[in-house]
Amino acid sequence: MSKLAQAARLPGSFGRGWASQEDRVGEEPPARGGADRGLAVSVDAVTKTFGSTVAVAGLQLDIEVGETVALLGPNGAGKSTTVGMLLGLLSPDCGGVRLGGLAPAAAVACGRVGAMMQDAGLMPGVRVGELLGMVRRLYEMPAPLAEVVEVAGLGSLMEARVDRLSGGQAQRVRFALAIAGSPQLLILDEPTSAMDVEARQAFWSHIRSFSTAGRTVLFTTHHLQEADAAADRVVVMAAGRKVADGSPTTIKKALGRRELRCRVDGATAPDLAALAGVETVEQSGSRFTLHCTDTDAAVRALVASGLRWSELDVGGSDLEEAYLRLVRSAA
Amino acid sequence: MSGLLVLEVRRALRDPRYLLIAVCMPVGFYLLFSGLFGSHGEQAQGLPQPVELMVAMVAYGAMWSVLSATGPRIANERAIGWSQQLRLTPLREAGVVGAKIVAALLVALPAMILVCVTAALSHHVRLPAAEWAVMLAVMWLGTTPLALLGMAIGRFVNGDAAFAISMALYFVLGALGGLWMPLSTMPQVMQQIAKFLPSNGVAVLGWRAVGGQGTIVSSLAVLAAWSAVCGLLALGRRPAWIPPLRVRARTVTTGIEITP
Repeated sequence: MSKLAQAARLPGSFGRGWASQEDRVGEEPPARGGADRGLAVSVDAVTKTFGSTVAVAGLQLDIEVGETVALLGPNGAGKSTTVGMLLGLLSPDCGGVRLGGLAPAAAVACGRVGAMMQDAGLMPGVRVGELLGMVRRLYEMPAPLAEVVEVAGLGSLMEARVDRLSGGQAQRVRFALAIAGSPQLLILDEPTSAMDVEARQAFWSHIRSFSTAGRTVLFTTHHLQEADAAADRVVVMAAGRKVADGSPTTIKKALGRRELRCRVDGATAPDLAALAGVETVEQSGSRFTLHCTDTDAAVRALVASGLRWSELDVGGSDLEEAYLRLVRSAA
Repeated sequence: MSGLLVLEVRRALRDPRYLLIAVCMPVGFYLLFSGLFGSHGEQAQGLPQPVELMVAMVAYGAMWSVLSATGPRIANERAIGWSQQLRLTPLREAGVVGAKIVAALLVALPAMILVCVTAALSHHVRLPAAEWAVMLAVMWLGTTPLALLGMAIGRFVNGDAAFAISMALYFVLGALGGLWMPLSTMPQVMQQIAKFLPSNGVAVLGWRAVGGQGTIVSSLAVLAAWSAVCGLLALGRRPAWIPPLRVRARTVTTGIEITP
């Protein structure tokens, strides 16, 4: 386990703790049927392989009713495979998936789940309004049409032919189809991939109004910003495993470590690594880059250390590098 | 399922290729062939030429309607992911399949009826009302194996290839099935082949319904056999020797996008 992950596992740093298999040791497996009734999603030690590629490895994930959860990770992390298994499009090699206590296919069949898939097409040759009307009628208790149109922003598109929509417009239609049945659980795979910045913001505000009604939302993304803005819980996946699980703030704190660059004459890397708030140090001659968990503490410690420092520069968050380190440590 | 059925029919009728190929081609062929062979008088099946040709063209038009409404569409829907989207609604697989088959058959009706209207107007074909009705009904139901054939094509072939294959089948089954030329004018081998084709089976049912001679037992058997085989291919479990079609590849990006 990496230093970062160890640091993040310090008590109190995460509400839910950094999940790895060790965290789950000794935990009672949920009793079949009864105990997971309050859970919207329950993924129990699920593994899925394609040929020799392990897409998802022993994933453990419980989502309570009403949560909005972001599944964050790079391509190939196993997000879409997880979503596929949640929706019953793929079956796990081992382990179990339950949605509100039901098998995925049953939950889909009774209209409790709405889904927006990354590569979902729309029926060609029909108008948006016709398509939406047809899909709404498939559900026993559909959402009011006006509400769906409003929330998905389809007002001006209802007469448009489905095959003549722009990428962002088609995405709005997909979203409308996903919420047409007024589902208790909404699963979105890379929902904003075809949207511009403005459309993204509008989309996430729709999602928030959808989730305030006590409904559960799970979406995948590789934008940390989106996860931060829209979710109240972020699950980071890498190489088919869950590598982090917590509120956006804690995830950001763990991922968003800052750098402190300075010139120090007559010092060695271990000297600087010993400072408070500093995790690792890179040295290039007399120039040092300090990767910090807390730059404030590190600056204070540097000033107090009596080292001969100059050209101090506190760098912006290098989230990507921190993230990649986290991912590598999981691999 | 009914909602999906309505949309399936609507989009098929909006497709200009449907109008051009399914409606115009059989009507055009009817006028062309009846002009060419009209003077030959009595033909095989003991039917007047305009009636015999009408039935053949009804079969021809129906064939393209059901093939085009199934094969290329299903292949395309699978490729763009619409089939998957439908699987994520409460609609059951049987409902999707049922809507497709019924829609394909319904779309065949206008093409079939238009050939009859053309025959009645241009060659004064007159039949008792019951014969019109029975002829259209048996031929309409007789196209079911072709709908299943189209569904099998759509299941195992990609979009463009599915269109090309459907088109090729349309011409090959039309020509070899004795819809373009009376079978009696063809070599013996071709006549034997024709008896095993669903296109010929549909036409024989129609000819018989309007007073033609000959047996329909073998035609019914042929149509039933095609239904069974195509139905199994279209709806049964995917045989192990046919690899599953890949879903559209995703754009691959590297790493995670993070904005500070």
